[in-house]
Amino acid sequence: MRDWGALVEQRLADLVLEPEERTEVIAEVAAHLEDICEEVLKQGVTEEEAVRRTLSQAGDWQDLQRKSLAAKRREQPMKKRVWQLWIPGLLTLILSSFFLMTLQQYGLQPRIARIGSNTVLLYLPWLLSLPFFGALGAYISSRAGGSRGMVILASVFPPLALTGAFLLMFPISLAAEGITGRHSDFSVVATTLLKDGIGWLLVPGAALLVGGSLAHLLLSTRSSWRYKANG
Amino acid sequence: MIGPEIKRGTAELAVLSVLEDGPLHGYEMARRIERQTQGSLRFTLASLYPLLYRLEKRGWVRGAWETSSTGRRRRCYRLTSEGKKRLSPIRKEWAELFRALKRLTKVSHA
Repeated sequence: MRDWGALVEQRLADLVLEPEERTEVIAEVAAHLEDICEEVLKQGVTEEEAVRRTLSQAGDWQDLQRKSLAAKRREQPMKKRVWQLWIPGLLTLILSSFFLMTLQQYGLQPRIARIGSNTVLLYLPWLLSLPFFGALGAYISSRAGGSRGMVILASVFPPLALTGAFLLMFPISLAAEGITGRHSDFSVVATTLLKDGIGWLLVPGAALLVGGSLAHLLLSTRSSWRYKANG
Repeated sequence: MIGPEIKRGTAELAVLSVLEDGPLHGYEMARRIERQTQGSLRFTLASLYPLLYRLEKRGWVRGAWETSSTGRRRRCYRLTSEGKKRLSPIRKEWAELFRALKRLTKVSHA
């Protein structure tokens, strides 16, 4: 007879709950599958066929994992958002920025590309590292039960945060100029950065997105790989 | 296309209604709902258990491990007094919705 508990444990490998709570969920789902399988066996099919039919009735395991996490953690929506978006997003931003600063300290010079009348600065080693940072953000968000959208958002958080910060500079500088009566350089800086958005926002954003998407794809298929590998 | 809120609402009503007759574990619940609706409502693991966990968090149902006469352990769910209180207005809301839809479809067919 198949060990349904072990199978469910493999399928719900990323169900991050308190150990006792996790054990209960796994035992409950395993009992459900056992009941389905028994009923299918009563129809006179082979055990292999019964297992196949049982699994086909089980539905989407990723969906079960995500919804169970959401339901169990429902009482703390803010905490959930913090772990699914803010922490992975900020970590991606801090680590990628720190890595760029380190590279610059070691004398990394940007490659200059010209697109029309615009000059774009490209730090190639840094850009090549960004898919890894994007993947890290996606992994943390996914482990916290983040939906596909949340996982992707966490991985591309740095350019989104920078765009938001640049856009905020305009009203802040206008307000500052109004209060102090002096011309400020904020809006000049923000305009320049937004104009150079290809090098600072679009290209890094795409690199992060590649890493985040690949990590998400890998994580969402990992459960079924594990199952197949274990027969 | 039926939206997720409506689906969730019907699933809640279905679960609370079958639990009104007595405690059931997940598999029994899914089977009973499927049988009583002649296959119109089917629950997958992903639609049933997260819903039960939500209802349990709200205090509308209570789950407890029980051992059957065959020695099997199953988590059985019971409707709490809070759940019983909530069932009646939910039923009324759905009955009202069905009446409204019926009126609407009659008008559009006229």
